[in-house]
Formats: sequence, structure tokens, C-alpha cells
Amino acid sequence: MIKFDQVTKRYPGSNEALRNVSFNIEAGELVFVTGHSGAGKSTLLKLIAAIERPTSGTVLIANQNISKLKSSAIPFMRRRFGLIFQDHKLLYDRNCFENVILPLHINGITGLEAAKRVRAALDKVGLLHKEKAMPITLSGGEQQRLAIARAVVSRPSILIADEPTGNLDASYAADIMAIFHAFHQVGVTIIIATHDALGMSAIQSRALHLDHGVLKQAEFTQNEHSTS
Amino acid sequence: MNNWLNQHRQAIKLVLSRMRSNKLPTFMICLVIAVAMCVPGLFYLGVDHLSKFTNHIQNETEISLFLKLDADKDAVSDIDAVLAKNNAIKQFHLVTKAQAWKELKSKTEINNATDSKISELDKNPLPDAFFIQAKSAEPEALESLKNELEKIPGVEHALLNTDWAKRLSALLSLGKKIILFITVLLALALLVVIGNTIRMQILTQKDEVVVSKLIGATNSFIRMPFLYAGIIYGLLGGLLATIMLVLVVKLFNLSVSDLSNLYSSDFSLPLINGQLFLGIISFAIFIGWLGSYLAVSRSIASIKID
Repeated sequence: MIKFDQVTKRYPGSNEALRNVSFNIEAGELVFVTGHSGAGKSTLLKLIAAIERPTSGTVLIANQNISKLKSSAIPFMRRRFGLIFQDHKLLYDRNCFENVILPLHINGITGLEAAKRVRAALDKVGLLHKEKAMPITLSGGEQQRLAIARAVVSRPSILIADEPTGNLDASYAADIMAIFHAFHQVGVTIIIATHDALGMSAIQSRALHLDHGVLKQAEFTQNEHSTS
Repeated sequence: MNNWLNQHRQAIKLVLSRMRSNKLPTFMICLVIAVAMCVPGLFYLGVDHLSKFTNHIQNETEISLFLKLDADKDAVSDIDAVLAKNNAIKQFHLVTKAQAWKELKSKTEINNATDSKISELDKNPLPDAFFIQAKSAEPEALESLKNELEKIPGVEHALLNTDWAKRLSALLSLGKKIILFITVLLALALLVVIGNTIRMQILTQKDEVVVSKLIGATNSFIRMPFLYAGIIYGLLGGLLATIMLVLVVKLFNLSVSDLSNLYSSDFSLPLINGQLFLGIISFAIFIGWLGSYLAVSRSIASIKID
């Protein structure tokens, strides 16, 4: 599904953010990208989401080479993903419902069908009763859940989350991880970048550990606690 | 197809709701467009009306042939015969000095020209005259015909009555060029104003642009609301311009009617000029679209996502 082959990414005027990274993620996998801050986790996610292009090497998403995509094709590539950011990137001039419906409008889905799907997505993250609320009135954890609802409303096959629990306390973080786990159960490929081991320990999964832009041994977490 | 329509409907809805929450700025930009459209529109209306008026006069070209004061009946019938033979002439008629005298007297009575000295004249000062309509309306042909007729013995003076109309129409065509020039300048200014407004809007909606790009919106999707904003500004500005035009013309007609009564004329500008109004509105829409298109293409490309 996602294949990195000898990928190097260098930003102008800085060191290599990623060096010779190769890995393969199968459909339906749940993968953590770990490492200290500045290790290249965000760069890795941006390469997957076609926000950045590799300096060298190839990134294949569903057998399509990101570097060779025409810029007009990139929006359609991005619709395969649900993106979740540490800073939520919500729109604060509209209410929860209108935030979540945006990806559907981009896909040209409107009216009753769209409203039904928005409510289903809000229900999944437990925010159905807040559909008329403005995002600024929500707590940090609720805002992150709203961002997740927006990411999943168009039913993408891949969810990419950059530090989704970064700003949240432990109980909120556990909520968020439980939601991701639920999506994993129904076959969505999930890639989560995180620096804290707290969330990931609950779920059996693979971790890609980055250290200064170099991929260390991809390891499976062995902690098989019962998932709460 | 349905998708496509839906996206346009969504974009228009979004723009209208943004305009509703920003009524005053929206009205301001529409007012700017309206004024900039109204000024050349008004000039055009005036010049167009005048030039129709002069064209009308030019089509009725007449050569007036004044005979010598001492011309007797024989001389008049000689000239009549010469004119009848000339095949450049469509028709002509004679106004004798007695007829002209009578007409002049009755006209002065109507105009109540009490201070006129005409009634005090005891002798008819007017000559016999032929009024001639040529077949051709070409200025050159008329000029040569006039010269030819002037050489007929017994003719004192030949007068082409279109000279002033010709001058006026030359002046009016200059006026039309000036209007075109003003229109182009104002259109440029409008492009800048609209472009700037849209650019500011894009900057305030920057978050939305970034998020839309991140979740897979195409550039045309992001552009659409801003283009519609430009189009709607143009439409509202154009409509406002036509309303202003109607009001100004109405005021103008009111005040000019006093003046034209004094000249016993019924000069007034037409209140509704469908073609001009349609032209103004579609031109305003076009300028709105173009201004926002130029601004949007550059601004959206300059917003980087990360």
C-alpha cells in the first residue's frame, strides 16, 4: 500500500531530514512512527500525504509514484487519506458540523447524504450532541476528536495522524487511541507519529523508529496488554 | 454533472453568507464599481443621444439657394429649368420672397418677440430661394453640387446647411474616443480595486485555503468562491450603476426641460437604455471576474501548506 524505497529528503539550507529510508506498509496495518522531536517523523508523514516530495528515492502510494504525479493529480491522491494534525487545523469561523462537512463538499457530496455521513462521523467520535457548537468552545480532546471526525467522514482507506495526542492529558489520549483502534478494527490503514509510548503500548502494532532521519530496525511492540 | 452543479451552488451559498456578514464592506466595493461604471455610462448616454440627433439632421441635407434680390419671374423660371435638368438633385422647391416674408412674420408673432425690429420693417428684405435635396448624402458630392449651383447666373449664394452638423458630429466622435479612454482607465482602476479586495479576502481565509488543500481540494475548488465573489461584486455594482444612471438622467431631464422649453425644443435623454444597461452590467461582471481571477491565481499559489 505504502512503499518507501531509499527515500532521502533534504530541505534547502539544512541537513537531511530523512536519509535512505525504506519500508513497506500493508493495507490494514496500524503503524507507529516514533522518535525524538526533529527525527523526521513529520517529514515522513508529509511525504506519504504528498505534501512534500522526496529529494531522491521513490514513494509509492497504491503503486503510484508521488514524485511523478502531476500537480493537478495530487488533490485526488490526498483524498485517499484522512489527515489529523497535532494543532487540529480546524476552521474556527464555522461550527462543528460545517467543519466536518468540508471534505464531503470537496468531493462534491452535499445535501441529505452529506448530512447523514457527517452525523455518523460525529457519532463515532462521540460529538454528535455538539454539532452546532463552535470549535473554540470545545476542549482540546474534543477538538482533536472533531479533527478525527473530519478526517474519516469521506471514508479514506488510510488515516495519517501527526502527534494526535501530543497536547492531551492521559485520559484524553487514551480516548483518541481507542478511536484509532476502532478504525483499525474495520480495516483502515493507520499511521500515527508519536513521541510518547503511552498510547501505543495499549495496541499491538509495528513501530518505525526514526533517529536523526535514519530508520532504525522496524520493530513490533510486544506489550500485549488487553486493549481497554 | 450533478456534482459540478452542487459545487457551484455551495460556492455561491458560501459567498453570499460571507457577504451578508460583511454588509458594509460589500456595499462599499459595489459602490466603487457602480460609480466607476456610471461616469462613462452617463457620458455615453449624452454623446450617443446627440450623435443620433445630428445623424438625423445630416440625413436631411438641404442646399439652400438664395437668388439675387433683383431676380424677376423669368430669372426664377430659368433657374427652375436648370435645376430640373440636373440629375444630382432629388427634389427641390421654391419659396418666394413673399412666402418667406409671411412665414417670418408669423414666427416672430408666435415667439412674442416684441423687441424684434422685424415688424417695423416696411420692405421685404428677403430673396427668393430654392431648397434642394440632393440624391447623394456624401459630403463631397454635396460640396461639389453646392459649388456648381452657386455658378448659375442669378444666384447670389448657396448654403449647405449641414456644415455645423458635420462639425458637431466630428466633435462627438472625438467625445466617443475620450469616453473609451476614460472607460479603459476606470476599468484598470477597478481591476486593481477588486483584485486587492479579493486578495485581502484570501488572506483572511488563509486557514481555510490551507485546510482545503490538505484534504484534497483542487485549485479550481478553492478558487471558485473567490471568483464568484468577484462576479457578484460586478453584478451588484452594475445594477447599482444602472440605478444611479436612471436617477441622474431623471434629474438631468427635469432641469434641462426648463432650458429646452425656452428654446421651444423637447430635448431630453431617454430614461431607459436597455442596451447600455445590459452592457454596463455585463462589463462590470466581466471586470469583477477578471480582477478576482488575477488576484486568486497568484495568491493561492503563494499560500504554502505545511
